[in-house]
Amino acid sequence: MMKKIIFIGLLFFCLNGCQKKVQEIVIGTAGPMTGDQSKLGGDVANGVRLAVDEWNEKGGINGVKIRLEIGDDQHDPKQAVSVANKMVNLGIAGMIGHFNSSASIPASSVYERAGIPMITPASTNPQLTNQGYQMVFRVCGRDDQQGKVAADFAVQAFQAKKLAILHDKTTYGQGLSEEFRKAVSEQSKAVEIVSFDGLTQGDKDFRGVLTALKGKNPDMIFFGGIFPEGGLISKQAKEVGLTAPIMGGDGIFDPKFIEIAGIAAEGSFVTFTPDPEKIPHAKGFFQKYKARHGEGLAPYAIYAYDATHILLKALAQAGGISVKGDKKKVSEIIRNMKYDGALGHIEFDTKGDVKASPYVVWTTKGGRFEEFWAPGQPMPTNASDVLMPATHDASS
Amino acid sequence: MTLPLDAMLLQQLVNGLTLGSIYALIALGYTMVYGILEMINFAHGEIYMIGSYLCIIFLGIFTYFGLTQSHLLLSLFLVAILSAVTCAGYGIAMERIAYRPIRSAHRLSPLISALGVSIFLQNYVMLTQGSSDKVFPHVFPISSNSFGAFPITPIQLFIIVSAILLMAGLHFFVQKTSLGKAMRAVAQDKMMASLCGIPIDRVIVVTFVIGSMLAAMAGVMVSIYYGVTSFYIGYVAGMKAFTAAVIGGIGNIPGAMLGGILLGMIESLGAAYVSSEFKDGFAFIILIFILIFRPSGLLTKNA
Amino acid sequence: MQMLSSFKTILIGSLWCGLLVIPFMGVQGALLVAAVLVMGAIGYQTIFRQWALGRFSKMGLLLSGVYSRLRTPVLGRRFWGIGVVALLVVPIFLNNYYLDILTLALLYALLAVGLNITVGLTGLLDLGYAGFYGIGAYAYALLSTKWGLSFWLGVPFGAVIAASFGLLLGVITLRLRGDYLAIVTLGFVQIVYLVLNNWDSLTNGPNGILQIKQPEIGSFLLEQPIHFYYLALFFLIVALFVVYRIAYSQMGRAFCAIREDPIAAEAMGIDTTRMKILAFVLGAGVAGVAGVFFAAKYTFVSPESFTFFESVRILTMVVLGGMGSLFGAVLGAFLLTFLPEMLRGLDLYRMLIFGATLVLMMMVRPQGLLGTSHK
Repeated sequence: MMKKIIFIGLLFFCLNGCQKKVQEIVIGTAGPMTGDQSKLGGDVANGVRLAVDEWNEKGGINGVKIRLEIGDDQHDPKQAVSVANKMVNLGIAGMIGHFNSSASIPASSVYERAGIPMITPASTNPQLTNQGYQMVFRVCGRDDQQGKVAADFAVQAFQAKKLAILHDKTTYGQGLSEEFRKAVSEQSKAVEIVSFDGLTQGDKDFRGVLTALKGKNPDMIFFGGIFPEGGLISKQAKEVGLTAPIMGGDGIFDPKFIEIAGIAAEGSFVTFTPDPEKIPHAKGFFQKYKARHGEGLAPYAIYAYDATHILLKALAQAGGISVKGDKKKVSEIIRNMKYDGALGHIEFDTKGDVKASPYVVWTTKGGRFEEFWAPGQPMPTNASDVLMPATHDASS
Repeated sequence: MTLPLDAMLLQQLVNGLTLGSIYALIALGYTMVYGILEMINFAHGEIYMIGSYLCIIFLGIFTYFGLTQSHLLLSLFLVAILSAVTCAGYGIAMERIAYRPIRSAHRLSPLISALGVSIFLQNYVMLTQGSSDKVFPHVFPISSNSFGAFPITPIQLFIIVSAILLMAGLHFFVQKTSLGKAMRAVAQDKMMASLCGIPIDRVIVVTFVIGSMLAAMAGVMVSIYYGVTSFYIGYVAGMKAFTAAVIGGIGNIPGAMLGGILLGMIESLGAAYVSSEFKDGFAFIILIFILIFRPSGLLTKNA
Repeated sequence: MQMLSSFKTILIGSLWCGLLVIPFMGVQGALLVAAVLVMGAIGYQTIFRQWALGRFSKMGLLLSGVYSRLRTPVLGRRFWGIGVVALLVVPIFLNNYYLDILTLALLYALLAVGLNITVGLTGLLDLGYAGFYGIGAYAYALLSTKWGLSFWLGVPFGAVIAASFGLLLGVITLRLRGDYLAIVTLGFVQIVYLVLNNWDSLTNGPNGILQIKQPEIGSFLLEQPIHFYYLALFFLIVALFVVYRIAYSQMGRAFCAIREDPIAAEAMGIDTTRMKILAFVLGAGVAGVAGVFFAAKYTFVSPESFTFFESVRILTMVVLGGMGSLFGAVLGAFLLTFLPEMLRGLDLYRMLIFGATLVLMMMVRPQGLLGTSHK
């Protein structure tokens, strides 16, 4: 019996070995594929897979097929490092990931040492690119860029006088909320921030903190976090009797946000990149994504999709399969690349951050997200069904 | 419009009471299993999670057949019954597979087995139902405070009333019926009870069934209340319900009810008036203080 | 006859599970599940069982044989010698991925050995062990980034700071018994997590602390995975030695006496209160060292590494290995670190299978792999 097992084992080993002889370029992606954040990790994997399939349909990189390896780090720094080492051993040519800053930061040192470029679609922690690494890039905007646009909108266009800020105590949510607060106080001294409080990611009950907000009578509630909590906050705010609209960052730009909040989502504001449907490069992406997954936009899938294209394009320019010995070259190409994708125009600075993220404000209307306002504009006039601060007292 | 302060406090108390009723229902399952088997059933929170999924799944089916549109209350009632029965089935399976074979082992072994069950069930639900949050069909209109000045929503009222009815029913069952008496006997002295001819195995199964049904009801309520559920809610809720059971004195049924409601109140008030960031911590800080002064919980006599 | 009744059980059980999964998987999925269960169980009953039972008992015998030999002085020294030499030599041939997993296994082994003092020897159910681990890690992270404290000073500092929290927790829980103690320790790890996550000015909140100094020997910087492997091995061996000496000292016997029967222990003149606190302090100290190592290896700490789930993971290692057995704790740590890694190929099914394996392992050997089946 034992012999048989060994034999079968050897057979598998051989087969494995045989498979590896086929020439291919391997790229990796990693994020929380199981556990409480698995939806987010799955979105990233979907985006990457779509991009890889597109390249393979065109014949791969210079005729060599691309294979995708997916790693599960469960947003745990330890597992992130072990996934990173595993990916390096598999001989990946580049990495799309990781997802969470707490995973990307420890993993980045592994990729840096191995000379493998990594492009994260979602880690917004400024410290990631402050380490002085050559191989680290991100396509998502930094929190300060997004917070600035949100503050412009809230103060200048929406003319809020009292703002309440909530965040989900994560690197992303808290970072974004702090940047928003900073930008608001730089804009105007007259705007009062009546509350700045955190809540727990994964919790479902926010009535306590929302009921307390009611007494402070804010014009707008800014939420730094992602859509499951965002949707619930939007819904429960209406239930406890708050009439102020909710504003959030790209983390709540997900159809699930509207699905969870239902009718309560109407008239919320979200900062996001300009309507990708209007960007010519993005059209194909949306059609294909909808055909495959049917659920419309998942924000991190877009980031992952563009990140993958940037990586693959750089690999192709660097010479495809022959590049393995010279990975520094790939990172140089990425750094100098000017790419127009589903997110719009992307260029990197010397640290690996995107130079500019053209954020605009969207609103929710009729169960859909709709582009609403761009920096520098006045408040749109066709916004009669969107709650304005002046109408608060009348309606409540 | 700024609310007068006392109205806001009242609203907070109602929030806390609703949350507390849900915790109490879950805590009962912990406390009953502990009373009988002296074992912390860490997988109990997952039954609650499954209950909340079942509610959404069954309601989706009913909506598909048009039943929710015509008979909303009836379909809710049916959903609750179906979910409770299915969860009871899960409870029985859990007991047979994970706990009965190792009942005589060291008391930490069931803990590991419970943990295995918990991880298994979470991933099973994630794989079959998808990793994103499951949204409740929007059958209720969003309504705030429709009882005049008294700040309570119909759903909150519904949850509090049903929880009270369920707890009263449980109390009657444990105190008055013969099975309930058998349960109390087994909790006091397993050996003696079996000598008196009480079928221990059956009593244990009944305990799991009742605990699972109560957890299922809590799950159904939470789905209705939040309108959304996800596969990881069982873990935190289970931990809090366990805390509630301990605050009241573990193994003590009225204690679990009191503990649950107390916990819900502390969380709501703490999140509102102190800091929402530490919401998950208040319960434990209070717990430590209570245990320093009453080492066996609020409602148990110190031996 | 017995065969028949067991078939009946199989059928009923499979049907039962099939019915339960209908709402989640639909009728087709449920039929599939039931069919797989029936075939699996019948196959197990008729073919696999005899074979497996033999194997398992043989394996158990082998393990306990090896273990008992390990404890005889002459052979034991040889076995330990071979083991240590293997652990010293093998890594030279491994790539960074395996080295990293091995280092992680060693780190968990260190934690499991520490927790074994509290849970295994003294019988106090401690669900808050990750709290001490986190305190150790943050202590070094802060001292090294703010004051440039070196790693070698960080180790004793981390141990002492974690141990003093152990003392605090021990004093708080003086009067508590059994599961009441467990829930307070659970609360402890939860509060530690919340403080680490919310005290932004000190701990940098959810962003964590970056650029923690790596250890240096003279002017030689330990930074490669293999360096950390040997460092972890060194800590584990020291910890094993110390805990082994404790376990077989008067103190260790007092711990065991408390575990077996606290009242009798008290009657024998053992100061149970002091001993319980001591067990907490010692366990916490080891966790502190492990935390410092963690911070130095990953050069990054963030609160999510020190949650209740981490406590449970370490506890699982101790129980799985066999309560009170030092070697068992190490074995448990290695198994539970390698198992999820081996299951990586299964992608999404990984954690599902991991959970099922935990249940199965407890069914097959409820006392743990190397535990003695007492009580």
